[in-house]
Amino acid sequence: MNVNFNKRDPVYMQVIRHFKERIATGVFEPGQEIPSRRELAGRLKINPNTAQRAYKEMEEAGLIYTERNLPSRITKDEAILKSVRGELIEEAVDSFVHSIRSIDVPVEEVLELVKEKYKNDGEEVQDD
Amino acid sequence: MIEVNDITKKFGRKKVLKGVSFTAEQGEITCIIGINGVGKTTILNAIMNLTPLNEGQILINGETIHKHSYEKITFIPDAIIMQPNMTIAESMQFMADFYDSWNQERATELLDFFKLQEDEKINDLSKGNRAKVNLLLGLALDVDYLLMDEPFSGIDIFSREQIAEVFTSHLVEDRGVIITTHEIGDIEHLIDKVVLLDDGKVLKQFNSEEVREEEGKSVVDVMREVYQP
Repeated sequence: MNVNFNKRDPVYMQVIRHFKERIATGVFEPGQEIPSRRELAGRLKINPNTAQRAYKEMEEAGLIYTERNLPSRITKDEAILKSVRGELIEEAVDSFVHSIRSIDVPVEEVLELVKEKYKNDGEEVQDD
Repeated sequence: MIEVNDITKKFGRKKVLKGVSFTAEQGEITCIIGINGVGKTTILNAIMNLTPLNEGQILINGETIHKHSYEKITFIPDAIIMQPNMTIAESMQFMADFYDSWNQERATELLDFFKLQEDEKINDLSKGNRAKVNLLLGLALDVDYLLMDEPFSGIDIFSREQIAEVFTSHLVEDRGVIITTHEIGDIEHLIDKVVLLDDGKVLKQFNSEEVREEEGKSVVDVMREVYQP
């Protein structure tokens, strides 16, 4: 587990994003046990209070759950799991659209380029 | 909680602290930042009652410091004060003989964490390892508050990373930590509270996560605004 944190976004939000990405890509499976707050702080080299905050927010959002004194786990709720993926895709597309709009390119041209890049990028990833 | 209330300190005619106030909570890492010579070490000495104040008051868990306060708080100076011909084990024994609050189990764990060999002499250690032994001797005490003077100063990046990692681990637990530094760099993500000091005064104090959340600024962004307006 390794995250490159940026310095201007709240660290707890970056931790949540990290979890969402792993949930969306299936690295974290439904019902999978997750590290304790202290372990997470140690692994990501973040303040334990920040790890605590991230877990609290994720618990409230239903992304993780804790039964009694057992370790926390990733939710098994299909609807939540599905929405995480949708949310990440939407966020990424939003930020892409926002930045491409400022250069005023027709959408057809953009889509063509996206397809091409996507293909090349995919091939490179497979080569790795 | 450590409450520093409007403290003033003069050395001769020179006022080093000019009405400094801030608080540091247990379970939090508070970082006092300022370029050298702005009174950071004097503040830590004042909290430990090692230097008499001209004005103001310091409270630890609501009480002014008394002899039993030293069971709750410890000061880790910026350089190790053990005899250089002592081994690490001998320095640990020295601390164990001297302090009731010495926790041998945690000390052993820290040795392992820092990958130190206890039969090595202080003299033969690298600067980074000497800094780690220095921290170990303080961290192994069962106290509520740890004051660390420039724990990252003048050591290599890998030692700095290892020291930073201690703060995220159970070795610090829910104790209160106050560290002074003039260089925030690699610990920006680790600290809870920042106290910006200049010319004997607190220019600003804030929670680092709050400033990221509410203003979208890094700690260094805020420092730039405060120190270079």
